[in-house]
Amino acid sequence: MDRLVRSEWTKLLTTRVWIGLVLGACLLAGGFAALLTAFAGNAGSGLPAVGTPQFEQLAFAVAANGTVLALVLGVIGMTQEYRHRTATPTFLASPHRGRVVVAKLIAYALAAVPFAVAVCAVTVLVVAVYAGARGAVPALSADNVAVLLRAALAMVVYAVIGVGLGALLRNQVGAIVGALVYLYVIEPIISSIPATSGAYEWMPGGALEAMTATTRTTDLLAAWQGGLLLLGYGLLAAVVGTMLAVRRDVV
Amino acid sequence: MDGRIARTAGRARSTIITSGSTAAVEPVRVEVSGLTKTFGRVRAVDDLSFTVEPGQVTGFLGPNGAGKTTTLRMALGLVTPDHGTTTFNGAPYAALSDPMRRVGAVLETAFHPARSGRNHLRVYCRAAGLPTSRADEVLDQVGLGPAGGRKAGGYSLGMRQRLGLATALLGDPAVLVLDEPANGLDPEGIQWLRGFLRHLAHDQGRTVLVSSHLLAEVEQTADRVVIVGAGKLVHEGSLEQLRSGTDGEGAGTVLVRTPHTTRFADLLGEDGVAVRVTDPEGMTVTGMTTAEVGRRAFADGIELHELRPHTSGLEEVYFRLTAGSEQFAAAPAGSAAPTDGRRNR
Repeated sequence: MDRLVRSEWTKLLTTRVWIGLVLGACLLAGGFAALLTAFAGNAGSGLPAVGTPQFEQLAFAVAANGTVLALVLGVIGMTQEYRHRTATPTFLASPHRGRVVVAKLIAYALAAVPFAVAVCAVTVLVVAVYAGARGAVPALSADNVAVLLRAALAMVVYAVIGVGLGALLRNQVGAIVGALVYLYVIEPIISSIPATSGAYEWMPGGALEAMTATTRTTDLLAAWQGGLLLLGYGLLAAVVGTMLAVRRDVV
Repeated sequence: MDGRIARTAGRARSTIITSGSTAAVEPVRVEVSGLTKTFGRVRAVDDLSFTVEPGQVTGFLGPNGAGKTTTLRMALGLVTPDHGTTTFNGAPYAALSDPMRRVGAVLETAFHPARSGRNHLRVYCRAAGLPTSRADEVLDQVGLGPAGGRKAGGYSLGMRQRLGLATALLGDPAVLVLDEPANGLDPEGIQWLRGFLRHLAHDQGRTVLVSSHLLAEVEQTADRVVIVGAGKLVHEGSLEQLRSGTDGEGAGTVLVRTPHTTRFADLLGEDGVAVRVTDPEGMTVTGMTTAEVGRRAFADGIELHELRPHTSGLEEVYFRLTAGSEQFAAAPAGSAAPTDGRRNR
């Protein structure tokens, strides 16, 4: 198994996709952190003022925006085998396809750790510099670190979900577009309709919010429950994908 | 420490390959038994059985769409057969403990376009637990050494074939399976490939199975041929059997052109040789060499205009065996127009 995991890391690091995704995630998190800091304490924005613990937790929590790109990282990791037809040599090297999927789940969960560290570091840096310029550098208090840790963990779990989703759908563009449409269009609709909003806390977006949100406006699970639920979704997709899609003939 | 030992072992093994001496490779017999696969309503492979012997190059022949690629993919566990098995010394591919060290396969020439050839090979070194130095060794072996750092997306078709072959060679396997490996190779590359495959089989005792839709491509390389048409086995055996087999229009046949066909045919007929007069000035003689036919003609003072072995026999046998099994057969040239013309008249 360790051979297959190392093989996956070699695959990941020998193309430049990961650089783009890390940079994209850092820009996204850093950008949101800057915006948030800029409007903090502004009467019209409704955001807490710089220097308050509410602001610091809210600002650090934007690191969780990296989850989208962690998801894409996982999706690409799985679906590139089909897109570039490298599934043939990969499954020749390991005829047990389930082991390939497990290796990818482990490889991308671990690869998401430095990814998440980079995103969190950029977020902290932007908030520290910008909020510092506005009068109060946030401290790395236990509460603030907990927010960062939850965001980082969410990115790791989303990379796992990406691999699972890729195993299920096999089509790279379809899986990425489908995931984005689901997260940014379908789930918001479900959560805003009163008849279905009760289900939101059990959905991937709701579980992510439970994991990373610092203020709660709707019913949500506890953070650890949300994390476990998300991990469950990722592993379920991987198992179903392995049984239904990955085992299909590679022609 | 372990790593260093593994690396040294890898180097020693490659020396054996490149030096051309007889390598100690465990002989592996491949047995295909009753393979059947249906895609939708098309029966791609139909109860196909054959064996591939070690120390020989076996040509796997058939027209396009005859089921060659599907058969190879089933043999390697990529496509699940409806029925049948393929075993390597008794074990199916999925049961091999270190498949890349036992069987190497070149099935398609697709690579991640942004990954260099060398890095592509390193990926599979890691997957097979081989030292990454093997990547450079096999690159040199297939003549891709200088291009190893370039992205595979920029490779020519011939270079892709070589990279595919390099991937198959990584584990120094006893069995090599190649699907249409000559596609995209230039004449020099084809020449090199033939010599290389013969060397792997004859000098090192490896089992080599190479598919092609062209008989001429494997004629000079293969010791045995397995011919399929429409998913079914139509011939299995040595090339010699194929030549001499069936109706004798093979290599034992000599073409003769002479103004005295009748007289010469009678003379040869008295010797008990099979003679067929094809036209007033041409005949075929079976069971004698060109030298023997020439000597007989000289002895009887018969004027000869042409005397040569009937070389196209093998191609004809191949065509006849696979006739009607092409998936998309074109109408014979010019057959449609006259019909229409007649109808109009």
